[in-house]
Amino acid sequence: MNLQTIEKVPLVTLVGPLNSGKTTLFNYLSGKSFKTVNYPGATVEYSISRLLNKFNISANIIDSPGIVSLSANSPDEKISIDALFNHPLYGQPDLLVVTVDSSQLSRHLLLVKQLKSCGFKLIIALTMNDLLIKKKFAISLSKLRIILGCEVVQVDGRTGEGINNLLNTISDQLDKIKLPDGKSEIIQLINNDRHSLLNFYKEIEKIENDVIYEIHSNGNGFDLNAANAQLNVLNPSYEIKTKYTLDSTSLKIDKFLLHPTLGGVFFFLIMAATFTSIFWLADPLMGMVDVFFAFLSSETAALLGSNWFSDFVSSGIISGTGSVLVFLPQILILFLILGLLEDSGYLARGAMIVDKPLSKIGLNGRSFVPMLSGFACAIPAMLAARTIPNRRERILTIFILPLMSCSARLPVYALLIAFLIPSGKSWLGGIILAAIYIFSVTSSIIIASILNKFKHRIIKEEDNSSFIIELPAYRKPKLSFVLTNSYMNAKVYLQKAGPVILAFSIILWFLTYFPNTNPEIDTTGLSEDEIVQVQEVERLSTSYASDLGKLIQPVMTPIGMDWRVGVSLIAAFAAREVFVSSLALIFKVTDNEETFQASMIQSMRQAEIKDTGQKLFTTATITGLIIFFVFALQCLSTVAVSKKETGGWRIPVMQVIIFTSVAYLLTFITVNGLRAVGVN
Amino acid sequence: MKKASELKYGEKVKISEIDFSHPSSQRIIEIGFTPGQEIELINRSLFNDPLAFSVRGSLIAMRKDEADCIKVT
Repeated sequence: MNLQTIEKVPLVTLVGPLNSGKTTLFNYLSGKSFKTVNYPGATVEYSISRLLNKFNISANIIDSPGIVSLSANSPDEKISIDALFNHPLYGQPDLLVVTVDSSQLSRHLLLVKQLKSCGFKLIIALTMNDLLIKKKFAISLSKLRIILGCEVVQVDGRTGEGINNLLNTISDQLDKIKLPDGKSEIIQLINNDRHSLLNFYKEIEKIENDVIYEIHSNGNGFDLNAANAQLNVLNPSYEIKTKYTLDSTSLKIDKFLLHPTLGGVFFFLIMAATFTSIFWLADPLMGMVDVFFAFLSSETAALLGSNWFSDFVSSGIISGTGSVLVFLPQILILFLILGLLEDSGYLARGAMIVDKPLSKIGLNGRSFVPMLSGFACAIPAMLAARTIPNRRERILTIFILPLMSCSARLPVYALLIAFLIPSGKSWLGGIILAAIYIFSVTSSIIIASILNKFKHRIIKEEDNSSFIIELPAYRKPKLSFVLTNSYMNAKVYLQKAGPVILAFSIILWFLTYFPNTNPEIDTTGLSEDEIVQVQEVERLSTSYASDLGKLIQPVMTPIGMDWRVGVSLIAAFAAREVFVSSLALIFKVTDNEETFQASMIQSMRQAEIKDTGQKLFTTATITGLIIFFVFALQCLSTVAVSKKETGGWRIPVMQVIIFTSVAYLLTFITVNGLRAVGVN
Repeated sequence: MKKASELKYGEKVKISEIDFSHPSSQRIIEIGFTPGQEIELINRSLFNDPLAFSVRGSLIAMRKDEADCIKVT
């Protein structure tokens, strides 16, 4: 045995311009359903897969963020380009599969030319051939192969057409690399100044004229190939002109959606529809989940009898996690709608529409997608901010992202809103939720514009602010992709939030149940139900949680709340939705009630502040809590990602201090202001 | 010389020159705006900025001040 027989698994990197069908192809090759990305630059993280598993080829395949050329304009492009030359984990790729949109040949060949001049081994995967055929043109693969000196394969990542051909080509090329002189040396691109770019384009225009031919109207293109070549010589300008037509359907749609004034109206309507449907569509589903968990909890309690273990399972585990899982439908629907917008091609247009107003407050049109994803979760949103080329605009975007009303706040808002509205008026809930969303967006705009005034103190260096974006042709979103996509997102959300929620539910259950597990109370004249209730109150008020809570009582009193809310607020720093499960535990929501929410609100209404006898939850304090959740940065993962993405502790520390103190201050003003005008 | 930012809807013109001194010019060339190419103003956003041009069969949006560096005839 010598060392040479132990082979390293070859690395195939998938690279390509934005919107070239790269991620769709990757999804097909990897067999996993990741995102298919229509918005330029949304593939911010690497996805890697063993080809071996599905196709019996011993190679790893990596997807990378889309790039226009080999010179980086933004952090995500830089990551992608650096990885091409030397991937931090996997080294230099042995083979590149470059996706090229057939209908965008002239623009997409630039990257191919640059990669070739660096010495990479390439396979060209021509995608979106159907779009070119729609324009009545076709590409001569054999000619392109000869001119470029590399393999060219036609594929369709959506249907899987041509994939086998591509895989065979990959396998052949990998075999060739194993030969003694199969490897070539990779050099960094030297010629990437503006003049060389123009020269590349001149060469590309020539290639294009050689390989693209017109399909005659009878659709029998191959027979007429020669005839067309002649026509090409006779009348070259005619062909160029028709080849470069835009998608006519998209042009018609954009007459409205990108109209100078109507475009703004449509933008507002699309956003409004998005956020209201999250509430309306999810409502019936939430009811179902709610009933299910209430049933599960009361059945478990009945089955296990009255002991600490029964209480641990029914309150600690089922009630704690159930109170949060109720909101899964809303989160799923949010991801679903985001996916639909992304896959249809509207997101890039949305970014264009808001570029001007956002640039007024120091942001960029490219902040739009991160901000929109921020309504799902701030973490992927911060990663998406890598597509913003200008550093100051990127940092400012990251700064305000925690103010976007993320899905973890939904459970909290839903509970608090349900408390505020009279029963039977659930339609009011949608309106209040919409108002909270509008309020949080408005606040983030105000905070961004204030920060923009101090921008020179936050980020010192100056760089060019730029907004150049490709507006892809509209496509009918492929529902199966979008559905799998939101399923995957929800799964990731559950995997990430689930353990945290469960762990905190258990910790909180422990803190609220011990040390006084069997409190001695005066039972004379009490019914059995009342005994249980009094016992629970006594147990809680002598618990560890209560000891802990008394430490923060001085902070809670000014905002009209007591230690029980304080403990929940602290627990919410692990993840915001823990606030709900924490309240559920403290206010003992278990059995004998129809639904969680109803029984929780019931016990919240009865809660009183011990010293004063005042009601704990009133319109004033609930409104104050909503305000608190709008502003406070109560998410440790967000802080960690913010540190990583901004390259230091400065920004995340500023975020925590500013947002949390603003939250406390405004809650104080709200609660006391409302009380002053007579609202309790 | 006219700039791309001064075009009217539907006006088809040829690019004569790209102003290399503009910091965005590199990206503008990379994305397909090269001398000799025909471009057309297709859309204007809210507040007339950014603008969307067709070039090489794609629709590209850019800010007005960035379109300034594309000289057309």
